[in-house]
Amino acid sequence: MSKSAISVKDVKIQYRVMNKMSLLKALLNPKKFSKTEYFEAVKGVSFEVEKGKILGIVGKNGSGKSTLLRAIAGIFSPDEGSIDLHGHSISLLSIGVGFQNALSGRENIFLSGMLLGFSKEQIDEKLDEIIEFSELGDFIDRPVKTYSSGMHSKLAFSITAILETEIMLIDEVLSVGDAKFKKKSYAKMKSLIDNEDRTVIIVSHSSETLNKLCDNILWLHDGEIKMLGTTSEVLPKYDEFMS
Amino acid sequence: MKRVFTDVKKFWNYTSYNVKAELKSEVAGSFLSWLWWILDPLLYMLVYAFVAKIIFGAGSKPYFLVFVFIGLNCWQFFNRVVRNSVKLVSNKKGIVTKVYIPKYMFILEKIGISGFKMLVSFIITALFMVYYQVPLSLNMLWVPPLLLMLAIVTFAFSTIIMHFGVFVEDLLNIVTVGLQLVFYMSGIFYDIADRLASKHPNLCNLLMYGNPVALIMTDIRNTLLYNQAPHFLALGIWLAICLLISVIGVKIIYKYENSYVKII
Repeated sequence: MSKSAISVKDVKIQYRVMNKMSLLKALLNPKKFSKTEYFEAVKGVSFEVEKGKILGIVGKNGSGKSTLLRAIAGIFSPDEGSIDLHGHSISLLSIGVGFQNALSGRENIFLSGMLLGFSKEQIDEKLDEIIEFSELGDFIDRPVKTYSSGMHSKLAFSITAILETEIMLIDEVLSVGDAKFKKKSYAKMKSLIDNEDRTVIIVSHSSETLNKLCDNILWLHDGEIKMLGTTSEVLPKYDEFMS
Repeated sequence: MKRVFTDVKKFWNYTSYNVKAELKSEVAGSFLSWLWWILDPLLYMLVYAFVAKIIFGAGSKPYFLVFVFIGLNCWQFFNRVVRNSVKLVSNKKGIVTKVYIPKYMFILEKIGISGFKMLVSFIITALFMVYYQVPLSLNMLWVPPLLLMLAIVTFAFSTIIMHFGVFVEDLLNIVTVGLQLVFYMSGIFYDIADRLASKHPNLCNLLMYGNPVALIMTDIRNTLLYNQAPHFLALGIWLAICLLISVIGVKIIYKYENSYVKII
């Protein structure tokens, strides 16, 4: 029997449209400052993801994909509706969470890990594996600001990929570093996604990637679900719509 | 408010690790940088003591150098944290847009970092006091609660300033001028009561009791140097006010956190 890992119910997310303003402007035009407009990015979306399944989210730019993903990750809470993760740990796989450039790579592993909700002991356990995977060698004890951009993303990828959570959210499939590391990271990613216990949501514009990886596809259009179904049902229609 | 406790507990490890790491990186960054934690207030002390004593002829108080030093330590703590909080959320963009963390934790982090530096300065203060043979007194025991109170006052103002700092672009200019004004009115290199009590009694009371930083600073000096008890009533009132501001500030931050992400 399959159990759901993520239940999203009637989620609505609004942004208060408040622009940055200088104080002088605000004083000269107080009405504009106090008036708040609302923009609804996600308009009542409900779906379930079963444990171990891989869901792809597609939609054109501005359809609310990333907003929804961030809400599921808990970066902000929905204005209405609920998101239930049934107690699973979750992480949003993204590059360089909270890196502090003046600190060493090693310290940044701890900082990122703790931000993702791991304890110091859990990170300690995986520390060697992360360092090895990142291929940084001695650089791990030097400040992150001395890293090349490739090294930077290698470290970031290794942290999120090795500190695994039960639910992973992926905003565009990452392939980082040089050709060799790209291959390695893609393989790692694939093995993470293929793990039967892991539930994954992937946001991507690449139909090819989604076709290869996903079980189901959610098609968002202007903040609403346009279609939800198996990959073979939804993707062709989406491609047709977009072309 | 229950949420505050669970959130603080959850992110405490991250914040305290971050404080330690940041302090460590300052030390590692340059061999002499930790020396600057000590030199900075010491040099400022000399500058202000010179201005007050030689130019304005005001430094007749006993232990005048220590008097100025304590004032500067307290002020620098408040000044650093409040100034930093203006741009705090946008400076932490990398974190804010990728994971959830209650944003007031950033203020606690700054309080931790500046607080540690303040404690280092207070060790120097103790050495000064030994050198000047300031007599020991029981009133000195009030210093730790007074420092805690300074942290609460700082947190209260920082929450509000951090929130508006997200939306108002030029807040830093205003805060900088404002802090400068408060600096000169807080009696850091002069004694408010000595200078103003006889000539402008009303102004003296306003500066003394209307400004929590000046009040706490005065009481830290009084308890450490002059064996006097703190102004309990005034401190109690300010404690209540600042706790209220903190509660309001934290509530506002929770309410608007969603929109921070979109604006920065």
